[in-house]
Amino acid sequence: MGNCFKTPSTDDISLLRGHDNQDGAEQALGPPPPYQERVPVYHPSPNVSRLANQLSEEEQIKIAKRLGLISHLPVGVYDGSSKKGKECVICMNEFILGESLRFLPCMHTYHRDCIDDWLMRSFTCPSCMEPVDAALLSTYETN
Amino acid sequence: MRLIWSSGYVELKLNKNPVEGFSAGLVDDDDIFKWEVMIYGPQDTPYEGGYFKAHLNFPKEYPQKPPKMIFMSPMWHPNIGEDGNVCISILHEPGDDKYGYETAAERWLPVHTVETILLSVISMLADPNDESPANVDAAKMWREEPAEFRRRITQCVRKSQDDL
Repeated sequence: MGNCFKTPSTDDISLLRGHDNQDGAEQALGPPPPYQERVPVYHPSPNVSRLANQLSEEEQIKIAKRLGLISHLPVGVYDGSSKKGKECVICMNEFILGESLRFLPCMHTYHRDCIDDWLMRSFTCPSCMEPVDAALLSTYETN
Repeated sequence: MRLIWSSGYVELKLNKNPVEGFSAGLVDDDDIFKWEVMIYGPQDTPYEGGYFKAHLNFPKEYPQKPPKMIFMSPMWHPNIGEDGNVCISILHEPGDDKYGYETAAERWLPVHTVETILLSVISMLADPNDESPANVDAAKMWREEPAEFRRRITQCVRKSQDDL
């Protein structure tokens, strides 16, 4: 057992050196680039931004629940017939035919990307401040 | 992209239907994230007659996150820090559920614009909120020595006129 620690004071690195010289060209290229993937950023709290792989378990659950709730909100495509507003009041752009929209229970409509980003930060309608979760529940109850 | 559109929209709106009390433009034509605004001291307040310059610094996530506003002109107000930082609820990111929905309504919303922010700031000048002051000395003076409070503001108003 004790022998494990009885190593020579200097390592024989001659073989390594030889190896180094032979593969000098390969060494110059440097190590392979790290595995890169675009990791999404989430907001476990409104003023906190964290990469998906740096979230605590509690935060992951909270975000998963929020994503689940958002997925229950109806979506649609702008067909030009909407009588209620022709503009997304978040980005202030007019809706363009074919754009993806999200309808909140309070009947306010936004671009899907604009409102989904906001709902991950605060689960309320930015126009009327109606809490979206309570509204979702009441629509289930009345149905 | 959003900001280009929103700023274009606000400028358009300002030109078409000018709102009294402020003017706005870019600090540098190449940087749409930095705005310079001029706020006119509201009538019937100690700030009347002042031309107060301020900068609005927008984050890349605007309008999902609020801009920061800082007065470049010297100011004396309970809700403006001595460094010029404006501390009002609509410039704070929405609180979590623990704040309750009522206060969330007073915080930042992505539907706010330069116009709504500045209208809030103008109303703040007329009506300070000393519950959570950014400048404790100014808040104390506002409550306890109103005459001295007005005198300090008059100095700021004169300075802003000299700087024009």
